[in-house]
Amino acid sequence: MKVLHQSQFFISYQCDKQRCFFIEFPHKRIKLSFCQLLAFRQQVKEIDLNAHFNGQNPHGLEMLMLCNRQHFFVFSTLECIDLKEFITGSFAMLELNSLLTTPF
Amino acid sequence: MKDLVRQKLSIHVEIMDLLNKQIEKEAHSSSAYLAMASWCDHNALANSADFFYEQAAEEREHMMKIFRYINDNGGTAYSPEVSNVNHDFKSLEEIFETALDQEISITKSIHNLVGKCRKVNDFTTEYFLQWFIAEQMEEEQTMRRALELFDLMGTEGLGLKLLDERIPNIRNKSQK
Ligand SMILES: [Fe+2]
Ligand SMILES: [Fe+2]
Repeated sequence: MKVLHQSQFFISYQCDKQRCFFIEFPHKRIKLSFCQLLAFRQQVKEIDLNAHFNGQNPHGLEMLMLCNRQHFFVFSTLECIDLKEFITGSFAMLELNSLLTTPF
Repeated sequence: MKDLVRQKLSIHVEIMDLLNKQIEKEAHSSSAYLAMASWCDHNALANSADFFYEQAAEEREHMMKIFRYINDNGGTAYSPEVSNVNHDFKSLEEIFETALDQEISITKSIHNLVGKCRKVNDFTTEYFLQWFIAEQMEEEQTMRRALELFDLMGTEGLGLKLLDERIPNIRNKSQK
């Protein structure tokens, strides 16, 4: 299992053997298929950080359900900011890997 | 490390995002044409109404083409939300002008997508989008042809009635 990216709160891994990904959250580690990783990315992209600062989301919490509702997470504003960076970083590493493994 | 992403997905991830945006645009086009059809129906312009009903159906087909392309290639297509559909028009001429503007902005969006495909070497999607480039060319021509009719026949009274009768013929023969 190889580390893809690590941010302040989260770590992503790729497992070649099981052909899947893992994400380590502060309290648990979950396994994701590529499809589920894409779905997670989409949910994180849709988080509106502005709403945390203009009063629309006064509690500054985001609730996400992952992997066909198997997992439920609540993230704070700080974690959401980190999460966005984390997803971008993880996918950037995947793209880099893709470039490196492409034979020319 | 294996390229697991490539094993699952034949489209570049960012291109997939743009394709999902395009789905929203096609869905919006479809709804916009439906609103135009409704206006025409209420203003006794039966042929123009039929024309826009058909346009609305076509835009939905475009949307479905992209939707299936994403899912067939291992990505995830998202069912679009449609908002801001305009129902207020002052004339049929304004409707066709709006329709042309809408088609032009879709053309630009497709071209932008193709440009991005080239940047990230997603030749599969570039090839897929060729059909849309040709389609947009035809759509723009159709709307322009309709607008030319207004120059020819005017925008009121009997002229408008006669114009409405010519609407079924403005599509390219090759399109039918
Ligand atoms: Fe279209
Ligand atoms: Fe169109």
